[in-house]
Amino acid sequence: MSTLRTEEMTLNMGPQHPSTHGVLRFVVRADGEVMREAIPDVGYLHRSIEKIAEKVGYRGFMPYTDRVDYVCAMFTNQGWGMACEKLAGIEVPKRGEYCRVIAAEFNRIASHLLSVGAMAMDIGAMTPFAHVIREREMINDLIEELCGARLTFNYMRIGGVAWDLPPGWREKALKYLDHFDPILEEYNALISWNKIYVERLANVGVITPAEAINYNLVGPNLRACGIKWDIRKDIPYSVYPEFEFEVPVGNGQWGKLGDSMDRYVVRIREMAESSKILRQALQKIPPGAVLAKVVRNFKPPAGECQIRVESGRGDMGWYLVSDGTGYPWRVHVRTGSFAAMGIIQKLSAGLMIADLVTLIASLDVIAPEIDR
Amino acid sequence: MSAVSEYVHNIKDTVSTIFEGMAVTASHFMRKPYTVQYPDRMPVRVQDTLPFRYRGILDVDLEICTGCLACERACPIDCIVIVAEKDQQTRQLLLSQFDIDIAKCMYCGLCSEVCPTGSIHHTTEFEGADYSLESLIRRFVQDPVMAYKAKKGPETDPRIAPILNRGMAYLDQWAQPGGEKPPGEEPA
Repeated sequence: MSTLRTEEMTLNMGPQHPSTHGVLRFVVRADGEVMREAIPDVGYLHRSIEKIAEKVGYRGFMPYTDRVDYVCAMFTNQGWGMACEKLAGIEVPKRGEYCRVIAAEFNRIASHLLSVGAMAMDIGAMTPFAHVIREREMINDLIEELCGARLTFNYMRIGGVAWDLPPGWREKALKYLDHFDPILEEYNALISWNKIYVERLANVGVITPAEAINYNLVGPNLRACGIKWDIRKDIPYSVYPEFEFEVPVGNGQWGKLGDSMDRYVVRIREMAESSKILRQALQKIPPGAVLAKVVRNFKPPAGECQIRVESGRGDMGWYLVSDGTGYPWRVHVRTGSFAAMGIIQKLSAGLMIADLVTLIASLDVIAPEIDR
Repeated sequence: MSAVSEYVHNIKDTVSTIFEGMAVTASHFMRKPYTVQYPDRMPVRVQDTLPFRYRGILDVDLEICTGCLACERACPIDCIVIVAEKDQQTRQLLLSQFDIDIAKCMYCGLCSEVCPTGSIHHTTEFEGADYSLESLIRRFVQDPVMAYKAKKGPETDPRIAPILNRGMAYLDQWAQPGGEKPPGEEPA
């Protein structure tokens, strides 16, 4: 009896693929439907943002930081602002820090909403995406009123924020949070506990805690493996020590610890925690100035500094070297998405091709953040 | 036996969670939609519903432009070009060119932040589609005009005063460093 002749197939996924969350390319070596490995090919969205910083100066670079990670631009704004402030020894007024935290946490909710909605859509559930986009739209409306833009905020400045909260904004924000908490429950009923959805995600792309540390995963991807590491708690910055909130970690309730479902559930829980932080911040916000006095021609002293911010995609590092002139000597951004790309090749062995899409979505990679 | 019961249990779970989801979807049939039918079925223009701080296409009120070039220097992508020269006879600043390349502009708002009079400002206009790149360059100076010179005391010219008031109201939106009025050239 003769056997069927089979051979390994090399498949190109991307760069223009709807479910790769941007311009990303994977070279997939597949045996039928099962992958031997998927090799990520990054660099399609490289815009040399770090080099641009050396040309446009400290103040002019702030709008460019919006483009590093456009889904949660508040954190890149904050990272850059904090790096400059640390180097020059500027203290941000209390109200300025509160404004930063409020804007950033709203942005975290928006970012996680988009992440979980896009994940559902990648798997084939179309309805939840419309639901999360509606919620994100309301947050965008709030942020638009706060800083005049919906995506590229450019809200923060060196020494604080550019705008104070507009009159009546606080009440509007609290009203939105009252609306948001039940929506999260509704969203869970719609998709999170759906049996088909859970079956699709549980036990797919399992990352062990040791692997997660070795591959340098950060943020929700790391916490989903059961490791409690959050920059807001462990290396506190801004006014985060003043708030009470939990750090949700994965517990392997639906399958193995560190699978795609854990990563999904951690994001859902983080949204509830962000809502908690927002309520406290909106209640406690003190009066006063929002912007410290900084000379117009900003020139920090020569030196270097490193800043870590917990962004929507995890630990974001800003490394800044100044030589004392009006332009940075070197800027480097370390992002969570790039770290997450590294582990895909290892995880993909033995997965189905359809599960690669789940894996990318569950790691929540944003293409411009990988390449900068 | 346990395999059969697990199989039945799974089916029951699947069906019940699908109906839970469908109940959420069905409840949304009754709610007011959040989407709008842009642009022809809006009761008011979208531009009029946008917040005051909205950063749309830049506009310049030449009547109150002091020709200080602060916006040109603040722009990170050099999309503003201003030519201001001192007139030899009248000893006053003469603006002969004020161009903004809307195609280049990234609407960051750094230029309107530094303007001492609120002359350069963002409007709520956002519909900028056009057929050529050339027409996206907004040229604000047709004939050379005198730059605005701040007076001691309040503005008295009935033509300029409302424009200046609008400019100062626009500037008031920005955070003041240290919570005080900025050291502007113009008394409010």
